[in-house]
Amino acid sequence: MSERLLEVTDLRTTFRTVTGAVPAVGGVSFDLHGNETLGIVGESGSGKTVLARTIMGLQPRTNVEVTGSVLLNGHQVVGASERTMRTMWATEVAMVFQDPMTSLNPVMRIGRQIDETLRVRLGMDRHAARARAIELLTMVGIPSAQSRYRAYPTELSGGMRQRVVIATALACSPKLIIADEPTTGLDVTIQAQILNLLDSLKEQLSMSVILITHDLGVVATRATRIIVMYAGQIVEMGDTRDVFFHHRMPYTRALLDSSPKVTNAPHTRLAVIPGRPPNLSTPQPGCAFAPRCAYATERCHVEAPTLVDASAPGHRFACWNPLPETSDREAR
Amino acid sequence: MSDERQPLLKVRDLTVTFGKGAHAVSAVAGVSFDIYEGETLGLVGESGCGKSTTGKALMKIVAPSSGTVELDGVDITHQRGRALRQARTRMQMIFQDPISSLNPRRRVRGIVAEPLDAWKTVTGEQRDRLVDELLNQVGIDPEVYGDRYARQFSGGQCQRISIARALAMRPQLLICDEVVSALDVSVQAQILNLLEDLKAEYGLTLLFIAHDLAVVKNISDRVAVMYLGRIGEIGPSEVLYEAPAHPYTKFLLGASLEADPDSAPTGAVLEGEPPSPLDPPSGCRFRSRCPYATERCAREEPVLTEVAPGHQVACHFPFIAQ
Repeated sequence: MSERLLEVTDLRTTFRTVTGAVPAVGGVSFDLHGNETLGIVGESGSGKTVLARTIMGLQPRTNVEVTGSVLLNGHQVVGASERTMRTMWATEVAMVFQDPMTSLNPVMRIGRQIDETLRVRLGMDRHAARARAIELLTMVGIPSAQSRYRAYPTELSGGMRQRVVIATALACSPKLIIADEPTTGLDVTIQAQILNLLDSLKEQLSMSVILITHDLGVVATRATRIIVMYAGQIVEMGDTRDVFFHHRMPYTRALLDSSPKVTNAPHTRLAVIPGRPPNLSTPQPGCAFAPRCAYATERCHVEAPTLVDASAPGHRFACWNPLPETSDREAR
Repeated sequence: MSDERQPLLKVRDLTVTFGKGAHAVSAVAGVSFDIYEGETLGLVGESGCGKSTTGKALMKIVAPSSGTVELDGVDITHQRGRALRQARTRMQMIFQDPISSLNPRRRVRGIVAEPLDAWKTVTGEQRDRLVDELLNQVGIDPEVYGDRYARQFSGGQCQRISIARALAMRPQLLICDEVVSALDVSVQAQILNLLEDLKAEYGLTLLFIAHDLAVVKNISDRVAVMYLGRIGEIGPSEVLYEAPAHPYTKFLLGASLEADPDSAPTGAVLEGEPPSPLDPPSGCRFRSRCPYATERCAREEPVLTEVAPGHQVACHFPFIAQ
């Protein structure tokens, strides 16, 4: 396997609020290799977006405490000044946000928004930047890029806007793209187009991609590895097939079972996870999933489990009463 | 199979046009379907295809420009005033964003009691009992949560309260417009199961509007696929998902992502985006994106034709199993 592009060690992001500290990310460690797609899945409030923003060094400095270490291509992100981060943004790491309309400036022509990055970060002159911007727009599949260069974001559809955002992110050839719910809110046919685009760009430019989503369908065929988050912690991680078919953590199973499938017969009763995710501002001892878990024992409510290795390399889970190690595919 | 049954809702050539003259947009351009008593009809399509407008036009939240909507044999298209309000008690709608569907400054009990208070069908003690019963049924404990404000609830809980409110007048037809698309998967499963339970208990008929094909398959007996204001295909959900006859249905199914690493990677991806409804293509509305389109598709608009019992498709060259 290729070298480590990203090393996250015991990362904690805590928000200080009037009602107390909220540990949105509570001790997360993982690695990312070059030219890999890592999927991070979890429900809303599981900390996946906060994790992404922390890796990007986008957390505000006031009322947020970040500890641990994020090594991005050898550079430390935690505690880095904004000036240091600026040298990394766009060239080392870039982010694609969920809502393309709010990540673009509505009163600025889309070409200018791509130009800006090129001119500020790479010091290109106007003409070179323009030529490169048009090249990027073509690369992300925007038809008649030459004329669309002068379009405003409102003149484009949601799918096209997301392509522009991806073009902006690609402008300075970053080694890592963090895509936070890049296709949520897009139609299925457009979603497929955008995911295919990300996939082909990843190969073409030999980047790595972190794909953050709540939809297991998005990562199933795209990600090489998957991290499942719950209440700010990694509860299971491993190769995509291990997580889908040999998961040990009951939460992963519950998440898979509760998503409706196209192959289900009509009126199939879905497995539900009772209750709701915990409130992070009132920390409970033990496993965060225990109150909703069907397998929880006394120990689960008292002592928090840590990640332990499963039999497959790289497959880890945090659970005191893991599901038996069988091939789920065969069992069904 | 459903020929003997009388449709509860009969929709014929429904059109909804916004604006006038050159700026007229036909959001719904001639849609006909039936919903039989006790069934769930799924209505799928991409954004802008007119599925929500169809739902709203049935309730007359937006006025249909032409066509008829018959509820239980009574034409409600031209009803107004009290007669229309009376008809609306028999069909209720639940919306996508559960939080903005509820007044954040009102208490849960008041919200659910609103339709009962407006119609004064029950009084005092009866009303309070009915409200508590409804809340219990949707999984909100009235003792604990009944007097809280709507703003204190999560999205899933708000959707439960919306459902309780919609059921207060004991409607026959429930129109669910993207009711689970804003919710997390685990909460989504809870709401879908709740709808199935309530459907059995109250003998409800459902029109389930959604963009997520997997969700629609899980809940619907029959499914209608819309594209640019028209129905392209309608049929029993098993048949439609296994053997789609319309090219658009096929692409839509191909693009939907299955939570399974072994599922075939999305093969043929539909290129381009839906054209503007301001200027729809001539003939078949899907032809501008259809790889199978011929000159005939540009000339002649296909009409819904039965290809198998209960399975209709509007395409000149449908995929039919030989």
